[in-house]
Amino acid sequence: MIRAEEPLIRVEGLHYTYQAGTPKPIPALRGIDLTVQAGEYVAVIGANGSGKSTLLRHFNALLLPTAGNVWVTKWNTRDTVHLRDIRSTVTMVFQVPDDQIVASVVEEDVAFGPENLGVPEDELHQRVDWALAAVGLTELRHRASRLLSSGQKQRLAIAAALAMQPRCLVLDEATAMLDPAGQTQVRKILHQLHQDGMTIISATHNMAEAVQAQRVVVLSEGRIAIQGDPRFVFAQEETLHALQLDVPYPTRMARMLATVIRDFPTDVLTVTELAEAISMHLGQPLELRPKPTTGVR
Amino acid sequence: MSTTTRKIVIAGVMGAISIFLGASHLGFIPWLAGAALTIMHVPVIIGAVLEGPVVGLAIGLIFGAFSLLQAAIAPTGPADVWFTNPLVSIVPRLFIGPMAWLAYKALKTTNEALSLAISGVVGSLTNTILVLGVLGLYRFLPWALIGTIAVTNGLPEAVVAAIITLAVVAAWKRLESGRRSSTI
Amino acid sequence: MSRRTEFEFLGRVTIGQYLPTGSALHRLDPRTKLLVCLLLIAVVVASQSLLGIMLLLGAVLIGLALARIPLSFALSGLRAMLPYLLLLALLQTFAIPQYAANATVLWRWAMLTITDRSILAGILLIARFSVMVLGLSLFSFSTTTTELTHGIEHLLRPWQKLGLPAHELALTVNIALRFVPIIAEEAERLMKAQASRGADFGQGRNFIQRTRKLLPLLVPLFLVSLHRADNLIEAMEARCYLGGKGRTHLIHLQAHAADYLALAAAFALMALVIGLSTANADQLLWRLLSTYL
Repeated sequence: MIRAEEPLIRVEGLHYTYQAGTPKPIPALRGIDLTVQAGEYVAVIGANGSGKSTLLRHFNALLLPTAGNVWVTKWNTRDTVHLRDIRSTVTMVFQVPDDQIVASVVEEDVAFGPENLGVPEDELHQRVDWALAAVGLTELRHRASRLLSSGQKQRLAIAAALAMQPRCLVLDEATAMLDPAGQTQVRKILHQLHQDGMTIISATHNMAEAVQAQRVVVLSEGRIAIQGDPRFVFAQEETLHALQLDVPYPTRMARMLATVIRDFPTDVLTVTELAEAISMHLGQPLELRPKPTTGVR
Repeated sequence: MSTTTRKIVIAGVMGAISIFLGASHLGFIPWLAGAALTIMHVPVIIGAVLEGPVVGLAIGLIFGAFSLLQAAIAPTGPADVWFTNPLVSIVPRLFIGPMAWLAYKALKTTNEALSLAISGVVGSLTNTILVLGVLGLYRFLPWALIGTIAVTNGLPEAVVAAIITLAVVAAWKRLESGRRSSTI
Repeated sequence: MSRRTEFEFLGRVTIGQYLPTGSALHRLDPRTKLLVCLLLIAVVVASQSLLGIMLLLGAVLIGLALARIPLSFALSGLRAMLPYLLLLALLQTFAIPQYAANATVLWRWAMLTITDRSILAGILLIARFSVMVLGLSLFSFSTTTTELTHGIEHLLRPWQKLGLPAHELALTVNIALRFVPIIAEEAERLMKAQASRGADFGQGRNFIQRTRKLLPLLVPLFLVSLHRADNLIEAMEARCYLGGKGRTHLIHLQAHAADYLALAAAFALMALVIGLSTANADQLLWRLLSTYL
């Protein structure tokens, strides 16, 4: 595949130190090189304190590098002239649902970002309608935001980010505080957005979410420890364990089965794949899906 | 980082705490014979110390407007009759923040902890003196009684405000410097 | 009542009490209601005329009827205050010697004097308070918190052009109102957590001890709130908030004929009340009454 376009995000030699220049500097990122192409879905995983949030905050100039550079398309994030461009190209969804809602009514909160950008009013309404529809909150648009469930609040936060019409959505553990149903909904929304061409970068502890990414970046102590497609990364269970990370539950199950069943495949990522592997082993074809797109190799 | 955003949000959140303390009655510490010391003005002092006099003014306005509204909508005691007057409930509260900030700024370089406690005292006394002063000018209460209230209620309130301001701001500043590392 | 309910603030912490009757008054532009309300407060405070205050009281009662709010509902606040009100009115009538000067003494016994002016002051106190209670209750019965925020924001908007931080102030109020339930929830969580560890809030022999017992609740409450404020600041910056300049708006309030009518009526009434006050109408009335009775 030929990429005529420049990468959407380019990180070169990024170092970031909290309280730099004080007697107690706290290094958070120690040399990160990373490129994200338009349309990619990247999951960032890592133990607490590995630097995930710090890295993500460099993608839209909420933080500026202590050393090194970050480019969003052609703009260096240090260039404050392009701050609006950068932040409307790369938008963020944060961890705590309540702490990112500004307005007291759902649709007004969605409008807050584009209002800040000075989007003309007829377009403003279109954007709000579209963003609410994308996360399935159209029916609740006149509801008081505080009356939403935390899953709905997080969908509102995604809608609010989408209304900026970004090219890239960055999520900082956006599902961490949601119940399983809320997590699933958000995961589905992200999947759909990616299908529609949105670039997604998501820091997560939820491995079921990480496997739907095209690329998994594993951070440890401010450096990239492993990166590659989910199957490649989650094959390295021992390394991940050493970094205090888990592999997805189906992968773990498959590895356990492999200890008792000879030749049982261990590169399994999802429940469907696990079921297929088991049925294959039993010699009975599985009729879950007409044609599995990601078969077991 | 835009400092305006910070000022707006801190003022809003401190205003919310003040409203909460009043509405929940948690902001009243029982004192002598049914009288209560209030700490509803402490968020004003803390906001002013952290973000400056304008933020203090804004929180004072929110505190004042809410105490007027509360006095009229859900009155509970004789003082509420006076507090429906904005010259009693709002205007004096506008000065709490700026006065507390002045005290903090003047003393910060000598001793941080002392300056925090003093700003608590100054902010609190500003509230006591101005509110009671207006009540006196309005002849709602005789001056002799006002003097007594100023001493019996105003002084303990000032002590309480000093304790809370010191405890909160010192803890926050300590936390703020260490906090960042936890969000890596 | 179980121990738990003691910490449940969420239900109790409301600003006002909206009563959706769907009346014409409810449907007025929030700016209209806010303006009339502010005007009412100013005039009640400024007016020295009992006659004027009584007119306002009548107007507020008509307003309550128009809003279809049961009178018993509106009066509940006043009824609870009745003993205090009488006490204060007595205090005003008897104990304040300043009224003695330049007034007709009606009754005197030892230190106590009653003059015509001190009686008037006592009655004025009760009347003013009644207007405020009923007027502000009417406002809160007929206006939601959202309408209030919209009203404030739209009323302030024109002042932005004069260089006042109007947008910033409106946003501050908005955030304050949005955070009250969040803080109530946080306080509830903190109190439950600490009560399970045996903390007793606000107990102690003297106020210093009581304050110290409150600190384990108050300090974390402030710190958590400041932390959440930091989160919100970051989220707002991520959404390109850079002050009020160049912003567009999703919501536009629309004033209708009813709003202009209501405003005109309110202004006329307020002007009349101020007029009565400056013309010393009460004095005239008093003299008329004392000559003919």
